[in-house]
Amino acid sequence: MAHETEHKSNHPSFNQYVVIAIILFAITIVEFGIIWDRIGIEDDLGAAVIPILVGLSAIKFAIVIMYYMHLKFDHRLFGTVFVSGLILSFLVGGALLALFLSFNGEPREYALAHAVPYEGHKAAEEHAAEVVERGTGAETTIASGPVELAVGAVGETLTFDTASITAKSGSEVTITFKNPSANNQHNLVIVQDGTKDAVAADGTAAGPANNWVAPGDARVVANTPLLASGASGEVIFTAPAPGTYQFVCTFPGHNFTMFGNFIVN
Amino acid sequence: MAHAVEHEYTTTGLNHRKMLMWVFLGSDCLFFGSLIATYMVYRGQSLVGPYPIDIIDIPLTTVSTFVLLMSSFAMVQALSATQADNKKGLVTWLLFTAGLGMIFIGFQIYEFNAFKNEGLTLGGNLFGATFFTLTGFHGAHVTLGIIWLLAMAYIGGKGRLGPNTALDVELLGLYWHFVDIVWIVIFTLLYLIGGFDAGPVPIPSP
Repeated sequence: MAHETEHKSNHPSFNQYVVIAIILFAITIVEFGIIWDRIGIEDDLGAAVIPILVGLSAIKFAIVIMYYMHLKFDHRLFGTVFVSGLILSFLVGGALLALFLSFNGEPREYALAHAVPYEGHKAAEEHAAEVVERGTGAETTIASGPVELAVGAVGETLTFDTASITAKSGSEVTITFKNPSANNQHNLVIVQDGTKDAVAADGTAAGPANNWVAPGDARVVANTPLLASGASGEVIFTAPAPGTYQFVCTFPGHNFTMFGNFIVN
Repeated sequence: MAHAVEHEYTTTGLNHRKMLMWVFLGSDCLFFGSLIATYMVYRGQSLVGPYPIDIIDIPLTTVSTFVLLMSSFAMVQALSATQADNKKGLVTWLLFTAGLGMIFIGFQIYEFNAFKNEGLTLGGNLFGATFFTLTGFHGAHVTLGIIWLLAMAYIGGKGRLGPNTALDVELLGLYWHFVDIVWIVIFTLLYLIGGFDAGPVPIPSP
C-alpha cells in the first residue's frame, strides 16, 4: 500500500533504533553513576545533582516520545493533544505543591517535631556495624593534655567518618565537627554508653529549637549545635570519668546509623 | 491526504483511533502527574518508618529500569516487523516485549514483598501510602500492557496482522512507550532523588 510505504520511510531504521536504545541505556548508567555514593560523583556535584537528574530524565522522556512514539514524524496535532495533557499535569502538580508548601510550612514542621525514629530495619544495623568496622582504621587517639579532635559526616550517607575517638579523663577536649552534606543537618552529641537512641528520642520531642537535644538531659555529656549543610561547629568540654561513651547525631532518624564510641581513659 | 486510504470520514484528516489514543495518553499524564505530585507533597512527611533510605534498593531498580527500556526497543521492532509484513518477526518481538514486561513486574512483586516485610504498608505511613499507590498504578498499567501484548501476539500468530492492520500494533506501542516514560519519571523522582530521604526532609538551610 502506497500509504504504508510512505509512512514507514519516515521512521528510523533498525540501526537508528539500536542507537536510540544505546543512548537511553547510557543516560540511565550516567544517572546511576551520579547517585551511587561509592563512585562519589554526587559529593562533587552537591546541590546540582537534582537538576542534573531531572534534566537527564527529561531527555530520556523526550527521546522516547519523539522517536519510539514517532511524534517527531507524525502529525503535529497528536503531539499538541499529548503535550496539552502534559502541561495540564504540570500545572495541577505545581498547584498542589504550591498549596502545601505555602501552608506556613506547618505540615513539614509538624512532621519534624513528631517523627518517630525507625528501629525495625536490619540493614540499618548492619550498615552501622560495617561503619564501625570500616572506622577502626581511622581511629583517632590522643593521650593526654588538651585534646583537639576532628569528626566529620560522610556525604549524604548519615554516618560519621570516625568510629571511635579517645581522650584522657579530666583533659579539656575540643571536638570540631564538620558537616559536608548538601542536604542534611547534623549535630554531634556525647552521651552515656548505650543511651544514644533514648537521648535521640527525647531530642526529637525537644525539637530543632533545642538542637534536637532535650534541655537538661543528664545522659548528655556535651553537644555541638545543630549544623546546617556545609557548616562546622565545635564543642569544648572536660572529659568525664574513664569509661566508654557514645557520640551520636540526634537529628530524627540519624541515630541508628550515625554514631561512634567516645572512649575516656 | 495519505491517511484517506483508511476510508474514514474525519474532520481532522487524522485517524480517529490514533487521535483517541493520544487523547487518552494526554489524560493519563494528568492521572500520573497527580499521583506523582501527591508523592512529592508528602515526601519526607512520614512520622514513622520505614523511610525510603531504609528500604529503597536503587541497584535492583536500575536493572528493572533497563528491562523496561529494552522492552520499548522490542516494541518498535514489533511494529517495524508488522509494517514489513514479517509475520514470524512480529509475533517474536511482541512476545519478547511481553516477556520483558513480565520480568519488570516480577521485580516489582519482589520489591513490594520485600518492602512489606520491612514494615512498609499502604496504611503505615505517608511514604507507604503514596509509594504503593503511584508504583502500584504504574504496575497495573504494565500488567494491562502485557495482556494486550499477549492478545496481539495471539492475533499475529493467527496470521491476522500485517501492513493493513499495523495501526493496531502502533496503538499498542504508543501505550507501551507511555508506560515506559512514566517509569522514567518515577525512577528519577522516587528512586534516584527520593531514595535517600531519611525521615522528615530537613528544612533547607538558608
